[in-house]
Amino acid sequence: MTAEAVKQFQDLEAQADAIMAVFSDAGYEYVAPAIIQPADVFLDVVGESIRGRTYVFTDPDGEELCLRPDMTVPTARLYLERFPEADSRARYAYNGAAFRFRSAGDAAIDPREFRHAGVESIGGMERDIEDAKILAILIEAVESAGLKDYRLKFGDLGLFQALLNALKVPKRWQTRLRHQFWKPDTFRTLVQKLSSEDERALSNVPKELQERLDPSKPSNAKKELGAYLEANNIPLIGARTLAEITAHLLEEVEDVRTEPLSTEAANLIESYVGITAPPRAAGARIEDLVSESGIDLGAEIDAFRRRIDRMSEAGIDFANAEFSAEFGRNLEYYTGLVFEINVDSLNGRLPIAGGGRYDDLLKSIGASHTVPGVGGAIHTERLMAAVRGEL
Amino acid sequence: MSDKFILAIPSKGRLMEKALAQFEECGLQITKTGHERGYIGEIKELPQVEVSFQSASEIVHFLKNGRIHMGVTGEDLTREYITNADARVNFLKKLGFGHADVVVAIPTCWIDVSRMIDLEEIASTFRKRHGRRMRVATKYMNLTRGFFSKCGVMNYRIVESLGATEGTPMAGTADLIVDITSTGTTLVANHLKILDDGVILESEANLISSKSADWTSIASEISNEIIARLDA
Repeated sequence: MTAEAVKQFQDLEAQADAIMAVFSDAGYEYVAPAIIQPADVFLDVVGESIRGRTYVFTDPDGEELCLRPDMTVPTARLYLERFPEADSRARYAYNGAAFRFRSAGDAAIDPREFRHAGVESIGGMERDIEDAKILAILIEAVESAGLKDYRLKFGDLGLFQALLNALKVPKRWQTRLRHQFWKPDTFRTLVQKLSSEDERALSNVPKELQERLDPSKPSNAKKELGAYLEANNIPLIGARTLAEITAHLLEEVEDVRTEPLSTEAANLIESYVGITAPPRAAGARIEDLVSESGIDLGAEIDAFRRRIDRMSEAGIDFANAEFSAEFGRNLEYYTGLVFEINVDSLNGRLPIAGGGRYDDLLKSIGASHTVPGVGGAIHTERLMAAVRGEL
Repeated sequence: MSDKFILAIPSKGRLMEKALAQFEECGLQITKTGHERGYIGEIKELPQVEVSFQSASEIVHFLKNGRIHMGVTGEDLTREYITNADARVNFLKKLGFGHADVVVAIPTCWIDVSRMIDLEEIASTFRKRHGRRMRVATKYMNLTRGFFSKCGVMNYRIVESLGATEGTPMAGTADLIVDITSTGTTLVANHLKILDDGVILESEANLISSKSADWTSIASEISNEIIARLDA
């Protein structure tokens, strides 16, 4: 079933009308961002898993363009075009086509040209309230289209970040841990690595050279490295300068000299990512876990609890809801809440709807300051198939 | 499509010689029909087989769209040009020649980089300093994307390179490469080194069948016969 099939077109339109009515009644303004987007800006902020599935092309002027693979980034760009100072509050709704490459053998329910109907709330400072509103209106929309049995899944990338900060994990390791967060096996290996001295050794840099490098004296270190390369007939090729290579090497040397991640910290990280429970119970378990270790997650855990309260107040039913600490959408731009609406017939592998908070996105596409944002979108073809029991 | 069973063999070079030799050793002598420089052949022992001589990458495309039943070509090209390759073709047998590793290679002077994850670490500084992302020159765009993604490396840009890829870092048109290497000599000559965990694929020539070809019962029988002979 694809939106390209003419016979589905009118049914999808009728479903979209119902969804858009819910959005517009709630005060979301209907927008239609451009389908063709500059590849550069776009590909910078979406994850590689989507980047590899994006239709990218070059126009006769040599400009690199793409067919939008999702609606959030185009909507955020539209906001910036309207408000270059990024100083306004906006609530947008959309229903439009997005495009992702599908290879033969991929599920037919997942066409390469599909329609996303969704909402984005940009510039709202009361994050927990906005998070709850977005989820509540998406639930209302899928229910108005006739969806009955579904499950909610939550994650919170802000909490994971807060945990790493509280454990005083060095910045470089944080980057690595964040990058591997979505791949449970690789992640576990990495945590073990960081907690073992041997694994962190710089095996490729000779001991004598390492010993001569002093992180507090970068210019001396640069000379040492230059002499080493010359003595070994290694020419300096490529764009990276000797100073750049030295700077990173010194970070690594400092790393080796730093205490490894403590076993307690490593265990704590592993216990944290293992948490899967109904939202309120999960909050309690996270608090137990960190308080046993004498760690303070500060504002993030309060925000987590407040958000659950706001969701309750917004009428969201947690009977079929699950929080999973290691759940996150594989998109680089999410920073806080992430969520999905799933149905059993799609195995939870292909969500009916999904979204989350993206507080860094606006800045990364050109805003002069950080602008909070949260949103979510419905996969309308999947929704229609689920409602009709066609899965 | 005729009721012929079509087997594609590389049309030139060592790949062709080795493939012909291997079939001959197993009692399947492939001879060209008609013109010496023609592209059609036959196997006396298996008269229903039509042998088609094609370039290694053309064989991959024919396997993908089912225009041939079986072919000899490199695993590297097959995995590069057929997304989801395992769902669309069968890798029947490694043939023991045409060895080449698809590897990630960086300038040897990047002494601070030895693993894939290190690339991601230097990427953001690189971008700030040079105003662009690191460029990876390769003709294996899909293999590169898949492997980099698996390793958590996001901050790079692929530049397509259809020849002399090893020279691009020295020429300044790319910062690192993904390319095939068999002995590593060319890499060393161009002052490049392979990352510790930078072997994407250990490729060699494979006997591969297409899942979308016209598989009549006769075609299946012939296929089994060829596999049995090559396994013997």
